[in-house]
Amino acid sequence: MEQPSPRVALLDERRAPLPTRKYFADGDPGPIAASLAYVPELLEVALPFISRALRGVTIDTRTAELVIVRASAMLSCTYCTLTHGAIALDSRVTPQEVVALCDPAGLDAFPDAREAALLTWVDVFATGRGEVPVEIADELAAHFDEATVVEIAMMAGCTIMLNRYCTSLRLPTSPLSLARLTDAGLTPEDLGT
Amino acid sequence: MNETVRDAVSQGRIGSRFWLYANYHCNLACSYCLTESSPTVVRRELAPGRMVELATEARDLGFASLGVTGGEPFLVEEMPELLLELSSILPTVVLSNGTRFGLDRLERMRPLSGRDLRVQISLDRSEAVANDEMRGPENFRKVVEAIPRLVDLGIGVRIASTLDMVDEDDMARLCALHRSLGVPDDDHIVRGIVRRGRALTEGLGSDAGLDDLAPELTITADGAFWSPFAPTVTGGRLDTDLMIGRDTRSVATAAGAMIALVTGTDYEGPVDDRFT
Repeated sequence: MEQPSPRVALLDERRAPLPTRKYFADGDPGPIAASLAYVPELLEVALPFISRALRGVTIDTRTAELVIVRASAMLSCTYCTLTHGAIALDSRVTPQEVVALCDPAGLDAFPDAREAALLTWVDVFATGRGEVPVEIADELAAHFDEATVVEIAMMAGCTIMLNRYCTSLRLPTSPLSLARLTDAGLTPEDLGT
Repeated sequence: MNETVRDAVSQGRIGSRFWLYANYHCNLACSYCLTESSPTVVRRELAPGRMVELATEARDLGFASLGVTGGEPFLVEEMPELLLELSSILPTVVLSNGTRFGLDRLERMRPLSGRDLRVQISLDRSEAVANDEMRGPENFRKVVEAIPRLVDLGIGVRIASTLDMVDEDDMARLCALHRSLGVPDDDHIVRGIVRRGRALTEGLGSDAGLDDLAPELTITADGAFWSPFAPTVTGGRLDTDLMIGRDTRSVATAAGAMIALVTGTDYEGPVDDRFT
């Protein structure tokens, strides 16, 4: 897969500002950290926040990856779609489901009412303007308690933030993520990228 | 935070001199320049009013002196009047290549007579050809003309010689020269070339990393840095390896970030006095 050059040169261990060196101590921290390191003050707060928001607090990893992959695909973020498509495969999401998540018309692959409500809500949340329509918000609330709705909203919001960040900076997908997709018989094109 | 900074400065955990990079551009393009300064680089400056604000906050936090460097600070048009203000806030040293002291600027420097200000001028060799090889045409002549004029005005002058290797015979001649210009031995500094910026590209000098450089808070248009030797430019790109942060709106915040680094790394003070 040929990838365009990132809009900013990603920092490495040799160029990492002093407060960010710890993030490079174990090797390449990934393009989000390697770009955020230009502004140490942002990296210091953003990475722990992103990690917490995307990992979830009580949400299981499958549900989390449904949210993240779906939002990323709806916003056409190549980096997030491929990276979390690979993570999803290790989170009890099947290759067929990953492909369906990346297809705007693919929600029929999720017959479970709870997941269907969640993904319908994510679609509107990611691409809509203003408040989520009442019937869609109510359907989400019928399946998830208030604390979990808060988690989902923050998880989806953080994903959208990263979608726009990664897309605008053209961050490259790691070879490891691409290899994981290949191992599952998937190509980037299968994921709509 | 303010007490933490005051304690760190008074206890010597971070340097007591606070540095400001007035600018990055220069009328010269010296072969060992840390910042790849030249007449053609993009102009990145700290506004004079902002420098006064930063200096005032630094004084209030317990910093004992100011350093102003660049680029060539005297390419900032307001520099003589700015130095009058800065030196009223803290004792100040301004680093200069010494080539911008025509009669008009010297006249504007006159009010600085007797102020707590030193102009530190670069002069590397005892004769023009060798000196100008590194620093550019006419540099030697302009410097040896400017120094006695500044001394005659009652402005303190230091001479800084930046050398890769010291030639004892040339050093003797250089010392004789600076004495003849009115600069005593105590005001002659000899320091090594730091292998960063254009010196790195040219293969000059010695490596200088975190452990070699004293922690002296340095503010530039790009952010806060570990040392005045830190905000270097290599291949046209700012070196970020010794950056502390981007936020320079508060000296206390930048100093706090430096103190955290000093504490976190168990920093015990500079180990290489070549660069202090």
